[in-house]
Parts: sequence; structure tokens; C-alpha cells
Amino acid sequence: MAETMLKIEDLKTYFYGDDGVVKAVDGVTITINKGETVGVVGESGCGKSVTSLSVMRLLHDTPGEIVDGSIEFQGKNLLSFSEKEMRQIRGNEVAMIFQEPMTSLNPVYKIGKQLEEAIQLHLKYDKQKAREHAIQMLKLVGIPRSDEIVNEFPYQLSGGMRQRVMIAMAMACRPKLLIADEPTTALDVTIQAQILDLMRTLREESETSIMLITHDLGVVAEMCDRVVVMYAGKVVEETDVYTLFEDPKHPYTRGLIGSVPKLGKNANRLDSIPGNVPTPSNMPKGCKFAPRCSNVLKVCLEKEPVLEKVEANHTCRCWLYQNTETVGV
Amino acid sequence: MLKYLIKRLIGIIPILFFVSIFIFLFVHMIPGDPARLVAGQDASLQDVEMVREELGLDRPIHVQYFSFVTNILQGDLGTSLKTKRPVLEEISQRFMPTFWLTVWSMAWAVIFGLLIGVISATKRNKWQDYLGMFGAVSGISLPSFWLGLMLIQLFSVQLGWLPTGGMDSWKSYILPSITLGAGVAAVIARFSRSSLMDILKEDYIRTGRAKGLHENKVVWGHGLKNAMIPVVTMTGLQFGFLLGGSIVIETVFSWPGLGRLLIDSVSFRDYPVIQAEMLLFALEFILINLIVDLLYGVLNPQIRYE
Repeated sequence: MAETMLKIEDLKTYFYGDDGVVKAVDGVTITINKGETVGVVGESGCGKSVTSLSVMRLLHDTPGEIVDGSIEFQGKNLLSFSEKEMRQIRGNEVAMIFQEPMTSLNPVYKIGKQLEEAIQLHLKYDKQKAREHAIQMLKLVGIPRSDEIVNEFPYQLSGGMRQRVMIAMAMACRPKLLIADEPTTALDVTIQAQILDLMRTLREESETSIMLITHDLGVVAEMCDRVVVMYAGKVVEETDVYTLFEDPKHPYTRGLIGSVPKLGKNANRLDSIPGNVPTPSNMPKGCKFAPRCSNVLKVCLEKEPVLEKVEANHTCRCWLYQNTETVGV
Repeated sequence: MLKYLIKRLIGIIPILFFVSIFIFLFVHMIPGDPARLVAGQDASLQDVEMVREELGLDRPIHVQYFSFVTNILQGDLGTSLKTKRPVLEEISQRFMPTFWLTVWSMAWAVIFGLLIGVISATKRNKWQDYLGMFGAVSGISLPSFWLGLMLIQLFSVQLGWLPTGGMDSWKSYILPSITLGAGVAAVIARFSRSSLMDILKEDYIRTGRAKGLHENKVVWGHGLKNAMIPVVTMTGLQFGFLLGGSIVIETVFSWPGLGRLLIDSVSFRDYPVIQAEMLLFALEFILINLIVDLLYGVLNPQIRYE
């Protein structure tokens, strides 16, 4: 059994707004082992990003609050950490890359300073050594003229370059866990491939565990060992990447895979999942996916299924596969 | 950078030229006869005409303007009709008191305004924010003459700690600069609060936190520098207004500054002094705008002056 790096258990992060409680993350359980890359997939608004921000405890500017569950990192419960203890984890042992490279770097500071900040803070290097390390990191992520780039401002770099800088920043203190929240979504396709390549190389060199949040199944297929599919704040399916593409169980997962265009297949229209993710104010009573599901049963509209093992390495939250005896319908 | 600066400085000349025309025309449109005021109420019509001729006020207005401009170019701002002293001397004597009063007012207005703004922005909708914004709204709404009188009442009359007016020691600066700065501090507080609140929603603030930086470093380091641009613009303009000398405050505190000089010279129709003072205010505003523009370059690396 591989060493467990991150263990999110029954995490509940709720948002308290004017129109009541929004259960953005509602009982999510995800485990990531050392050196493993786990993809978290789902449509916008399914709670992927909130899950990752919960791990970093970066819900500062949101009305969000972790109400239940536990987040264990290397056996330590992060939810019991003080803000000071969290600061020592953030950017150091757990680092994060964000979706928007264009706006994730501070426009008024030079690239070098932004990298060195974390290096000096966590690795306790002096200015000179931090500068050398920053240049080294920029070289590592494939930035040309890195000794000049440290003296440049973010606006002087392209989106792809900025995302490389973000990766260099995240990897600078050799984190044990990297959370990448849609790291390639804002980039064009050729740059996407380069960034994924880079992340793969870095992972192999440093044995970093990666939690990769994306809605792009192509990225999942390229990068991940295991996949967690989320819908409306809940995990609906989890399995290894091969099983997911070969034998998806949940109708939602099948819908997602079906809506990816395939080369060689002559289709006029792409398949799509009808409807939208339900808004928090009119969440269906039974299965959250039931209103959009093509295999909907009567029970789906009344009672929510549980996440159940369908095969040795495969769990699914769907009435189609529920063992009726254990659930007692 | 140097090239930009020189270009801007040369650009001042035509602006001042147009400003001088307006000033000249407006001053001559003020009702009242300076010749009569100089000659005195009891002077005969003949004497008044003599004075008028002596002052050159009998000449056509464009001739007067022309000699006004040529004299300025030769460094001669004229002679005060009231004191008969050179205008340059009159103004330079009054400039420094107003300048230092402005500097002190601005200094503490910037310090407290920013402090209140940042605290309010980071403690949004908490008691610190409400208290800060209550203070800011009060600072904007309270008439300065009233605030000045209240401060004199408390600190000079009741407690006897500070002088009621005049400009004798450093103590004399305290009350007028607080009175003058209160409104500015309030405006800075409100500007920096709203500006910083917007900035704190930016992605790079989250990046800073994700790096493990202390919240203070995120706010004061990464947040504030970005939030400063609108604050600097506004502060620059306020500085310009204060340099003009606050007429009200200088009167309340019997401050020997430009504001009071302006009042005196307007009531005496002292054309040369009024004109010179207006021209000086225009120049001050132009220079402050230039400094603000240069500060943008310091704050925002995307602005580089070539």
C-alpha cells in the first residue's frame, strides 16, 4: 500500500449567502497517494475548486466555511491547524497553481521578487541564494533567458510563460502535494501540451503528488492515475483512469465522455448532456443528476443513492448499480 | 524619462500663456475701481484720473495685457497697489507658511487616511470598518471652519495647550494642519478603502496567500501598491487645492499665508497681486499633475515614459 499523502474525508464546505446555504462541497472523500496524480473532473460549479481551496484553507474572500469532515495531509489534520501553521504549509509542502495565469501574478512586482518571496520564506535562503534558486527554477520550467526574466514584469510575458512562472513558483520549495486548478484551461492547445509535459516531467523528477482539477477529459487521460468525478458538490464516480474511459458507470460520466469529439468518427453533432447543473436553490430531492439523466428510474427522483463499490477499484453513486438489499429500497 | 520630462516642462509654456489671458480678463472684470481705492475715498476726480494714468489703467486692455506679459517675462510681477511693495516679495513671503501648512496637513492626512482605508478594507463590515467610515464621513461633512473653531475652543481656550492662531512655533502648526487635513484624510480613507477592496479580490492576492505569505504582507505589500493609483491622483489634486491656501482656515487661524493674501488683495482690487497669485496656483496645479504622472510610472511598471 502506497503512502497516503492527502486524505479528504466527508468534507463539507458550505456557503452562507443571502438566499440561504449553498452546499458547494457536500461530503467529498478523496485520497491521494504519494507520487500519484488524481484528476478531479466535473462541470463548472460542481465544487472542484472549492474542494481545492478548502485543502489550502484559502476561503478568505468567500462566504464559504468548512463545516464538517477532515483533511489529513501526511496524517496531520489541516483543519485543526492554526493560521500560522497553515502558512508554513502553504507554498511549501502544499503548493497551488491557478487557472488564470494572466491575472495570478502581481502586475507591479518583478518576476524574480515574486518567486523569491516564497523561497526566502520557506527555505530560509538569503537574497543572493534565493535569486539563484529562482533563476534555476525558471530554467527548469523551460523559460529562456531566465536570468533576465527575473528582472521583468508579468505584462512582458505571454500567458504560457506566465503559467510556467506559476509552476516554477509552486515547485520552488519542492512541495509534496501540488494542487493544479485548471492549469491549462486558459491556454491555447499547443501551450497546453507543453505545460502538461512540463508537469509530467516535474512529477517524475520530484515524486510530487498532484491533485489535478479540470473539466477537460483529454487532460485527464494524459496526466492522471485515478479520477474522481464530481457533480453538484458530491463525488459520483471514482476509479482508475483506464477503467473510467473503458467502462464508465455513472450516466453523468458517460455523458461527459460521450461529449468529447473523436477523430475518425463522422458525427454531425456532438453528444451533449441536456440541461444544466441544478442551482442550489432548486436542488432535486433525489439523485442530483436525475433531471438530466437518460436512464432515470422512479427511485432516482425520490431518494439519493450512496457512493457504492461496483467493482474492486470502482465506486459509483447511481441507482442503476446499487445493491438494493444493502440500501433497502 | 528625461526626454519626457523636458517635453512636459516645455508643454507648460503654452498652458500658462492661455491661463494668463483668462486670469487677466477675469481680474479686470471684477467690479470696482482700483484707481479710486488707491487714491482714497475723498480724492477728487482729477486725482483719481491721475492715479489711473500712473498705474497705466487708462490704456486699452490689450496694451495692458501686453505689458503685463512682457513684465512677467522679465521677472517683474509688478508692484502691489496696496503696499507699494514688489508683488514677488509679497507672494514669496506668504508662500512658505502656506507651503509648510500644506505639507504637514498632507503628511498626516496621507498617513491616517491610508491607515483607516486599509483597516476598513480588510475588516469589511466589521466594527473597525464602521468606525473608520463614520470618521471619514464626519471628516468630509464637518465644515472646516467649524472644526477649526471647535479645536481652538478645546485645545486653546479650555486646555490652553496650543495657540489660537498666528505662526510662532511648531505648536502653531498643529491645529490648522489637523483642521485642513481632516477632509483630505477622510477622502483618502474612502478612496483607499474602495480601491483596496477591489484589489483584494484579484487572483494575485490569492497567489500571495497560497505562497504562505502573512496576511499583512499580502495586504500592505501586494495589495496596497496596486491600490495606490487612484489614491495618488486624488491626493495630488488635494495637494494642489491646499497649496492655494485655504482661505477659510487661514482666516480662522490668522495664518499669514496665500489664502489670506488673496482675500485682502481681492477686496482691495490689487490687480497685480491677484494676477500673480492666480498664475502661481495654475503653475502649482500643472506641476503637481506632472508629479502625479511620474508617480504612476513608479507604481505601474506598464507605464513607462519615453
